[in-house]
Amino acid sequence: MSTVIQENPVDVVCLGVGFMSGVVATELALAGNSVVGITKGPYWDYVNDYSTTKYDEWGVGLGRKYDSPLPLQSTTIRNDSSQFALPVRRYTMPIQYHALGHGVGGAAQHYGGGMGRFGPWAYEMASRTASAYGLGFLASINPQDDTHDWPLDYAHYEPYYVEWEKAHGICGNYNGSPSNSQSDINYPWMSQNYPLPPHPLTPLAQLFQSTVQGMTAPNGQKYNPFPSVSALASQPYTNQYGVAVNPCVYEGYCAGLCDYACETGAKANAAYRTIPAAIKSGNFTLVTNAYIYRLELSASGNQVIAAHYYDAQGNDHRQPGTVFFNGMWGYNMIRLMLLSGLGTPYVYNSGTGTGSGTVGRGLTNGYTPYRGTNVSGTVNIGGNSYPAGNGSGGGVSVFDLMDDNFSHTGLNFIGGGLFGAGGYLGGGPGNITFAGGVSAPNTANPNGAMGSAFKATQQNKYLPTKQSVGATPFAPDLPTFMNYIDLDPHYTDAYGDPVSRLTYDWTPNTYNGATYLVNQIKAILTQMGANPTVSNTVAPYSAHNDWWGHHLRGGLRVGTDLNAGTATAWAALSGYNQLYYNSNTSGFNYFAAGEITNTTGNNATAGTHAAGPQSYRAAEGIKKYLANVGMPGGVNYLAS
Amino acid sequence: MPVLIVPDKSKPLNIPVFQSRIPKPEELVVLDKPLLEATIEVGNLLKDCKAKWALGGDIGEILNGVNVQPDHITILTNVVGCEEISTKLKGFQVEASKLVETQIKRNAEIEPKPLPIMIKSYTSRFDLNGQRLNVHGDLRIKVGDWDWGDPLDYEPEYVYVVGVKVPVVPLELKTRLYRGLGWYDRVSKIHAAMARRHHKIV
Repeated sequence: MSTVIQENPVDVVCLGVGFMSGVVATELALAGNSVVGITKGPYWDYVNDYSTTKYDEWGVGLGRKYDSPLPLQSTTIRNDSSQFALPVRRYTMPIQYHALGHGVGGAAQHYGGGMGRFGPWAYEMASRTASAYGLGFLASINPQDDTHDWPLDYAHYEPYYVEWEKAHGICGNYNGSPSNSQSDINYPWMSQNYPLPPHPLTPLAQLFQSTVQGMTAPNGQKYNPFPSVSALASQPYTNQYGVAVNPCVYEGYCAGLCDYACETGAKANAAYRTIPAAIKSGNFTLVTNAYIYRLELSASGNQVIAAHYYDAQGNDHRQPGTVFFNGMWGYNMIRLMLLSGLGTPYVYNSGTGTGSGTVGRGLTNGYTPYRGTNVSGTVNIGGNSYPAGNGSGGGVSVFDLMDDNFSHTGLNFIGGGLFGAGGYLGGGPGNITFAGGVSAPNTANPNGAMGSAFKATQQNKYLPTKQSVGATPFAPDLPTFMNYIDLDPHYTDAYGDPVSRLTYDWTPNTYNGATYLVNQIKAILTQMGANPTVSNTVAPYSAHNDWWGHHLRGGLRVGTDLNAGTATAWAALSGYNQLYYNSNTSGFNYFAAGEITNTTGNNATAGTHAAGPQSYRAAEGIKKYLANVGMPGGVNYLAS
Repeated sequence: MPVLIVPDKSKPLNIPVFQSRIPKPEELVVLDKPLLEATIEVGNLLKDCKAKWALGGDIGEILNGVNVQPDHITILTNVVGCEEISTKLKGFQVEASKLVETQIKRNAEIEPKPLPIMIKSYTSRFDLNGQRLNVHGDLRIKVGDWDWGDPLDYEPEYVYVVGVKVPVVPLELKTRLYRGLGWYDRVSKIHAAMARRHHKIV
């Protein structure tokens, strides 16, 4: 048995240090609590690390230095429970093209900065669908349906959205809510506008905006376009923690294959938004290159008492704490809980098509099927577009094809998708790759794309007068009993512990929704003069392996139904004696955020935006818990 | 009840580990909360101010990413602005506007012998919940026995403080000013901020 290094006890232990832990660590540290944040990767300094490796395409694009190292820990995947799950050995299309993040900030190292609130409907998807279309509707369109409402409605989460947007410097100008008031139950109204103005609209975005403003949406009303919401600071910014943020310089390295980090810190990332304030407080200790492998429970099993991790040298550490917050990436969070015996593991019964337990239940995908129904065309924008680069700003979106913002009577799906157009073109090294410039001779281009052909593609790439525009729309990927996370019985991580096993396939709702939505978008593109075509119409279950694991959501859900939801409205763990903190029963001291109950057709990384409010809920819940440790009485964590 | 298994597997792994240098607190550009809140209040109260004004001093720099630690708020404006701001912030005023000439603490470092720096401006002082705010109208600078300079003029740049748009004195002007005074440590701080931002070095 190796010697275990005992660390000093602290008030709060944050497991993983990404977006969610950044909020919790900062809120608790600024409140005077001692906080430790433990993350398996390094702290990336955007000046020294990102800038100097900007041109290291091998190291970043192929070596995946900003991504979670697969030799340390991978995951296995399969499409249904009858299959033998195989491990992800390399980051490649279409199996697992995009990886998890690595280091402080987590997956924020390599996202494009796309954000956007979930609409009110997403929080009450089950009840509002039943109310509008009948109790059996969800079951009829979603085999093995396991859809539940969130524990709180949008109005409850709205103030937390505001805090999260302030913290991360989100850019935009409202969300297309026609009245922008609480009476608008379909669109994400805002009590405060985004703290930063949107990025300048590109010519294509302006064309899209003017086009849809003259069109009628499926709900019979005019479309309500709004600037695409972005987490790339459009202006110099200081957040509520006093952290100064640099603005975007439109180099586009945030977008190049989504694997390039922002070298000015303009792209929201806990490392440059929240964690600096935590460090500055003097109450926060950041532990990097540390691999958490177990949570230690008390003898009675109703408390977490320590986190165990290996440091980079392989030393074994034990970090005790009063409260534990799990802010790891989705399936790593669930894996740690399963390894530690925390919560009730989800078990799927293929015979009955149902399941029991909560930890690992409700896995969904927040991204477009790679081989999905697609519509595309080319529009003349009447001049040169900008050559600037920026991962998520500059476009215009509409929420009118989202959620239940149009009648689904007679349709075989529920929900809809966000649609937008007109983002910036430039994008780091990916610019060259995606321009199709450097390729071998092929049928379409017999001479290859070098020489004059290469130059032509580059000219059209950087200063185009025509632009392609299109979409692979989809409706929400609804939770089912058959999609879930558990521990793999065969494969292990570098230390011998089971890796997580993902059992997942796209649900029919995504494909059926795409079939409908693609024609709505086709009408818009036609109006823009694109002469669009619909291609790759894909029927449910006809394409399986094209899922992008980094956008998976769920598996640890907040929920009103304790048999289905893993975490309560305060993000505290369900099960055990979790309902009330009580000095006699000791309550339960494990919180988690970052996972969601239902996904929507909003942008994939908008899942982060929707999870963000939970981190503030968790921080508030933890403060309540700490304030009541040793006090008589209790806190009802289920109360809103 | 699961048993905590602490396997004897601790070992150095043959996996690349990227060195991690966690920034020290003094390296991080973070504005203290009381000054932050006072700045937001000033920004809100002066959002309709017609006269040209901008945050100057250290507060204007930290909001632009320069690693300094302000202990008060400074506003640079003109005489008209000084009066207008006094009206808008009347409830917080502790000293009415008057022409003040004073020597600042730091000398100019442009000759072997340090030269005193005098400033002259229409100055009014405020207290926003314990945070000092000095408003300078038509600020002029005099180094040693040189002539007084012209009143400082500038085109404000804008930053956002938790959603409130506020004008700040351009860093380019500050750089020229510091260079003229021989304050190269302050020039370096601005250069460092501009380098982090990937903006041109002025």
